Amino acid sequence: MKQIKTEARWKETFKVAWPLCLSYTPIGLACGILLHAAGFNTLLTGLVSLVIFSGGAQFLIAQMLTVNAPILTIVLMLFFLELRYALLGSSLSKYLQGESRSSIFTFALSLNDENYAVNYLKFATDKHWTPNDARQVEHWSLLFWTVSNIVGSLIGSVLSINLTVVDFALTALFIYMIVMQIKSRLSLLICIFSGALAAVCMIITKSTLGLVASTLIASFTGFLIEELLVKKRPASALLQDIGSRKGGPIIEEIEKKESDIL
Amino acid sequence: MEYSSLDHLLIIILGFFVAFAPRYLPLLFFSKRQIPEWFNDWMKYVPISLFTALVVKGIFISSKYTLVTSGNLALIIGGLVVILIAYWTRSMAMSVIVGLVTVMILTLII
Repeated sequence: MKQIKTEARWKETFKVAWPLCLSYTPIGLACGILLHAAGFNTLLTGLVSLVIFSGGAQFLIAQMLTVNAPILTIVLMLFFLELRYALLGSSLSKYLQGESRSSIFTFALSLNDENYAVNYLKFATDKHWTPNDARQVEHWSLLFWTVSNIVGSLIGSVLSINLTVVDFALTALFIYMIVMQIKSRLSLLICIFSGALAAVCMIITKSTLGLVASTLIASFTGFLIEELLVKKRPASALLQDIGSRKGGPIIEEIEKKESDIL
Repeated sequence: MEYSSLDHLLIIILGFFVAFAPRYLPLLFFSKRQIPEWFNDWMKYVPISLFTALVVKGIFISSKYTLVTSGNLALIIGGLVVILIAYWTRSMAMSVIVGLVTVMILTLII
């Protein structure tokens, strides 16, 4: 890919990508520190950042390793977590029509939530934005993500970190992600339901497989209730948005802009 | 159970496949067709359900898979603090740092 980049183009794409790269750095550092605490060496931390390239997935790996989950369970959890990329891929696919199979392949390799948001906005608003530009934005974010993970891993090997505190750092991260995801009253309801169900499933199965079961049941329940409400009672209070505070991460502003333009 | 670096490598390799397939296949197949609506609507709820389950695991479930009913007050309060900070600031760094400081202080007091 590097040969195709002309001087002007990489500067152009970096201008688009740098806020994203900047926001990746602290998260990548944290992720590297946590992976190191979970036993990952620096080389493998770099590798996992390159080939999986997903904050949520890498935090999940760190968490599952600290609770000694079996490898198969970890992979199963990753699978369900990463399934959401099917949504991102399918919504971008209209901008990649006519691209070759190998071009789509390399595009998918470094796609993730945040560079998706940036690229979707650029595709939707800038008619000169090409799949190649989009791929360069992906590569910029991948570069910053991987380097900050490696640096985090090195920091982790220098500092000694209390494991119970690391554990809560992960819990806090997941809580943050939940708060960001809850948009409707129904999603809040599903969140509470999922929590209770997860406790029951884990106590019954005595293993992390309970996590997989409760995730599937709770998400499917959310889907069924939404289907039912949309068909039967579209005015239901459950479907309404919960007001949220304005401002915050860059990604939110981009999404906000997107809705203004479209 | 102790993991070796080989186990880690195995997780990375298998993880790559489960992470890559959902990014690649829909791009390939749905460049002309629409992805089924029901699948979209279902997947929307996966992150919330999964993250909540993990939080419950972190605060209320012991390593032997029993319900933790005492000794986790610091974590519960810390969790509530994180919710409030996340809601008001929408900042990941603030949420995690304030949450960690809260738990560290509380474990010293309680």
